[in-house]
Amino acid sequence: MRWFFLILAIAVVATVYAIGPRGVKFSDPPFELFPDMDHQYRVNPQKPSGFFEDGQGSRKPIEGTVPVGFELPHAGNEADLTSDLDFSRGDSYFDTGLFGDFYGSGYPETLELDAAFLARGKQRFQITCTPCHGNSGNGAGVVSKYWAIPPSANLIDARVSAMPEGQIFWTITHGKGLMGPYNGVLSVNDRWAIVAYVKSLQAAAGN
Amino acid sequence: MGNIFPRWTNLLAIKVLLCAGALGTCVIAVAWYSWTPKYTRVGYMPQQPIPFDHSLHAGQLGMDCRYCHSFVEDSLHSNVPTAQVCWNCHGPGKVKSDSPKLEPLRQAMDENSENYTGKPIEWVQIHKVPDYAYFNHSVHVNRGVSCVECHGKVNEMPVVFHAEPMSMSWCLDCHRNPEKALRPLDQITNLDWTPDDLDQDDFYSYVSAQTGKSAEDLKKGDEGKEWGQDLIGSHLQMAWDVHPPQDCAACHR
Ligand code: HEC
Ligand code: HEC
Ligand code: HEC
Ligand code: HEC
Ligand code: HEC
Ligand code: HEC
Repeated sequence: MRWFFLILAIAVVATVYAIGPRGVKFSDPPFELFPDMDHQYRVNPQKPSGFFEDGQGSRKPIEGTVPVGFELPHAGNEADLTSDLDFSRGDSYFDTGLFGDFYGSGYPETLELDAAFLARGKQRFQITCTPCHGNSGNGAGVVSKYWAIPPSANLIDARVSAMPEGQIFWTITHGKGLMGPYNGVLSVNDRWAIVAYVKSLQAAAGN
Repeated sequence: MGNIFPRWTNLLAIKVLLCAGALGTCVIAVAWYSWTPKYTRVGYMPQQPIPFDHSLHAGQLGMDCRYCHSFVEDSLHSNVPTAQVCWNCHGPGKVKSDSPKLEPLRQAMDENSENYTGKPIEWVQIHKVPDYAYFNHSVHVNRGVSCVECHGKVNEMPVVFHAEPMSMSWCLDCHRNPEKALRPLDQITNLDWTPDDLDQDDFYSYVSAQTGKSAEDLKKGDEGKEWGQDLIGSHLQMAWDVHPPQDCAACHR
């Protein structure tokens, strides 16, 4: 009896020591008690898949095919060379910001330019552009002082204010110089909304 | 014939019961404590290919979660950013472009790098709902449930870890009392938000615009109640008509 409780006490101390309290940081995958259907044979978003040769679950369209809802890029348009598919459905002004080879000005007719559109633009601008260009667009974002080459990214000066809407759209889509493209994170509609908000910032700055 | 059972056997049954009881209690106590997601998952902090620091990017630099997790409002899946998103800031001539910590990024993006593979960075997934349960980010985020309710204060974590158990009972605890979690929609990604940051008059006029009740009546109804999460949450729940599902088929579809 005495021995039993002595051993039990030692075992309890050892177990408590081994399992430790809840919430301790650890790096091995969590233990699964009954992993019955936890991992099914399906592809989850952004996850690898052993089914394909390159191991990637997210597939690109097979060469020569076009996903439903997208349009074939028209040959001979320079923008298409860089654009892949780009969330784009074609080469209209709405999708490219270009008329032929020139930046267009004004907004595509399909957009409804109302207060909600501008509010959306403001929200997206403050999420995506503010870190570099600053809240007012003056180029003094928090990140800009860390750049090895100080970037010239004042959006409300006379030079950028003179740019047509299509050019700003094109810059967001493809990047420019040191600025990378944001087509992967912003839908076409949101990009136009941001353009509208940038224009309103420029107007507020008197340009 | 003498006594077959010696004297010491008198207490044997009781002793055995006592020992078995003590052993059983200990085993159950240990299992209770450690065979639950509160123990098995909370604190999971895997080694990531790049030591990416949320407390720097989201905390100190103040970047919005949606800069990187850009489709969390539109999709059931909250995406981990592509290498391009990092590259826009960490590319050549930009921020810390030759830091050794960013080697996997250069392998994914920099065609001039000797180890270029063009393969995506293999981030290790931390939070995972089993495949038989359905979870949707956009429903929660668009209904005023902030990231902090489910992921903890990510903006203060140098390395992200599993902060909540994410068990079924945990999901249901909130689905039964959603008012403990609801907040205005523009503060979803502001993890440091507290009810005191909210302007009371703005809030009442917002709720009255949503519900059609006058702001004065709402204020009168709340007299004597303390301004805080429960009050804000219950108003928002009414205003948005929030009814989180509790039937099995909602999550096990
Ligand atoms: C990672 C930092 C960064 C982010 C985020 C960023 N930019 Fe830029 N942007 C730059 C830099 C750097 C330049 C200067 C490019 C150059 O001249 O080489 C620039 C230049 C520009 C220009 C001027 C282009 C020209 O032709 O001179 C526009 C317009 C612009 N950005 C718009 C935006 C908008 C709109 C967003 C939000 C979707 C945005 N930027 C997000 C860094 C950024
Ligand atoms: C600069 C880009 C960036 C920003 C901004 C950002 N994240 Fe992340 N986040 C990542 C990357 C990359 C990972 C994957 C690596 C990791 O887990 O550290 C990640 C992982 C996570 C994870 C863990 C995912 C998993 O596997 O379960 C959570 C939760 C998360 N982020 C929440 C947030 C929240 C909340 C915010 C806003 C406060 C935020 N993130 C801001 C880039 C970002
Ligand atoms: C908006 C710009 C921006 C984006 C986007 C961004 N970072 Fe950073 N990152 C920074 C800044 C600024 C620093 C701080 C540099 C310093 O301390 O000098 C930094 C620092 C780092 C460091 C530390 C480097 C070192 O050597 O100390 C790592 C690692 C890192 N980032 C990884 C990432 C990853 C991975 C991503 C993509 C998910 C990412 N960053 C996206 C701006 C950015
Ligand atoms: C209601 C709870 C809840 C809220 C609110 C929530 N998440 Fe999640 N998050 C989860 C769960 C559950 C998972 C695991 C999902 C899975 O297994 O696919 C997850 C997974 C993630 C992942 C990892 C995805 C992956 O596959 O690697 C990221 C990144 C993430 N969340 C970011 C966010 C951000 C950013 C926010 C705020 C805008 C947020 N979450 C809000 C519960 C939540
Ligand atoms: C912090 C609170 C909270 C947590 C935690 C939470 N939920 Fe929810 N959930 C909500 C709210 C609020 C709604 C929205 C109800 C509405 O729209 O009326 C919701 C709605 C849902 C829906 C309905 C979606 C639809 O399409 O109608 C599902 C499914 C769901 N949650 C699953 C989960 C799962 C699975 C978990 C655990 C991993 C979870 N939730 C954790 C608050 C929460
Ligand atoms: C709010 C969403 C939600 C609802 C409603 C819900 N579940 Fe679940 N259920 C989950 C999640 C998430 C898990 C995975 C929990 C985990 O991984 O720890 C789960 C796990 C389970 C499991 C497996 C447990 C295990 O560890 O193997 C069973 C069985 C189950 N649920 C039955 C039910 C039944 C029966 C109902 C209806 C009364 C129900 N669930 C309603 C979200 C839900």
